Amino acid sequence: MLQRYWFGDVDEQECRAAGTDPAALAERAATLRTGMESYAPIDWEVARDCGVVRTREEYVNLLRTVCTTLAREKIALSYQGRDVELLQMVRMLDELDNVINLLQERAAEWYQVTTPSFSRKYRSLPARKMLDLIRRGARGGLADAADEIERLAGTRTRLMREVSARADEVLPNVSALIGGLVAARLLSRAGGLSALARMPGSTIQVLGSERALFSHLRGGTPPPKHGIIFQHRRVHNAPKDVRGRVARVLAAKLAIAARLDYYRGEAVPEFIQNAQARIDGAGVAA
Amino acid sequence: MIWLQNVLVSRGEGGVYGERTLDGYRVWDPYRSKLAALYVLGGGMELIPEIRVLYLGAANGTTVSHVADYTGTVYAVEFAPRPMQDLLEVARRRKNIVPIMADANRPDEYAPFMEAVDLIYQDVAQPNQVEIAVRNLVFLKPGGHLILMLKTRSVDVRRDPAEVLSEARAGLERRLDVVDVRWLEPYHHDHAAIVCSSR
Repeated sequence: MLQRYWFGDVDEQECRAAGTDPAALAERAATLRTGMESYAPIDWEVARDCGVVRTREEYVNLLRTVCTTLAREKIALSYQGRDVELLQMVRMLDELDNVINLLQERAAEWYQVTTPSFSRKYRSLPARKMLDLIRRGARGGLADAADEIERLAGTRTRLMREVSARADEVLPNVSALIGGLVAARLLSRAGGLSALARMPGSTIQVLGSERALFSHLRGGTPPPKHGIIFQHRRVHNAPKDVRGRVARVLAAKLAIAARLDYYRGEAVPEFIQNAQARIDGAGVAA
Repeated sequence: MIWLQNVLVSRGEGGVYGERTLDGYRVWDPYRSKLAALYVLGGGMELIPEIRVLYLGAANGTTVSHVADYTGTVYAVEFAPRPMQDLLEVARRRKNIVPIMADANRPDEYAPFMEAVDLIYQDVAQPNQVEIAVRNLVFLKPGGHLILMLKTRSVDVRRDPAEVLSEARAGLERRLDVVDVRWLEPYHHDHAAIVCSSR
């Protein structure tokens, strides 16, 4: 029975070595297909008798080099999808939002302590607006922190544009329906484009509202109407009584859009046009 | 196995994952490694330089590095790219680790690289853990051993861990002799070690 191993082909009569160049061996090994019914594990001494190596140490070393080369190639391949970096970009963006909000709240609290006459009541000042006030009024550590927050906010804005642009490129159809930013968040929650493309519309509809969904499934509470897609104006601007329907229709079209993005990878104008019309139609009160 | 003042250690280059050292030996922490927990609880078999190991679910190479300290050659199989990057770094510094990026569900993917081994050690978070082990028995020498770290929660979170364990045990007994079964409490919850020997 012919056995095809990483170092060569072996059968009862002879052994054909595939050389000793690690790169060539790796390339050849990647093409091997093994049928497990007739498979027998390697006896390293065969590789020695075959003339590939002289000692066991050499055998293991060469094998390690070949396997490491193959593994590096596979790792590179798995990171090569354009969606992989986008995933990290969205997560960084959301993390920046969290951090900036926390820091702003803290700075506002600090500023109030240093300025006894100041109150946020009746002035409806969000912490974000107070930042300018603080940068003008405060000194020392607080002013430094405020400057730093301002810089972070700038970073966030630039990153947001980058995310949006990358999403338009990676998810052209989904982005056309729901905007690059929300599209990127859906991708991040799904864990990748291939995962998103395999989701049914009903799952996409409630992505991001897992807590409400599971509390519903466990019994009692009403089901969530929308998760991340609520962030799109068409959903949150819809009158309350049709919001559920808009979310459902939108999610169904997003599921199709995600598949187009994954399998075709380019915008499909007529699909986008029809889908937009259908979603707009769902928002008209019945 | 090497014990210093009742602490399990291994001999090798340190600093793999920030592990403590004791008299120049690397401390093998039962709270971090399920295999260490098995030894601390009195189970497992002696790891010696003469044996070759197939390690399924090598992850970041933490436990792999200790196994490699004790044994001759370790074939370390891992599927996910992120941990594989760490494993490659561990394998770069330990000359007896063969890092293989492949799916333990698909032994045909790495069969062209495999020798017969004396021990298969499996620690994978998959629902079909027993099935994976059985598929890999083709690499086990007659008289060799299998240590299966059964993650009962990965099989089915809703079911009683004890029930999952007895089912797994029955599944393995069709092909192997089960030598020892024990829970890894208090070190790891809902994890059991099943030690088998081939017939």
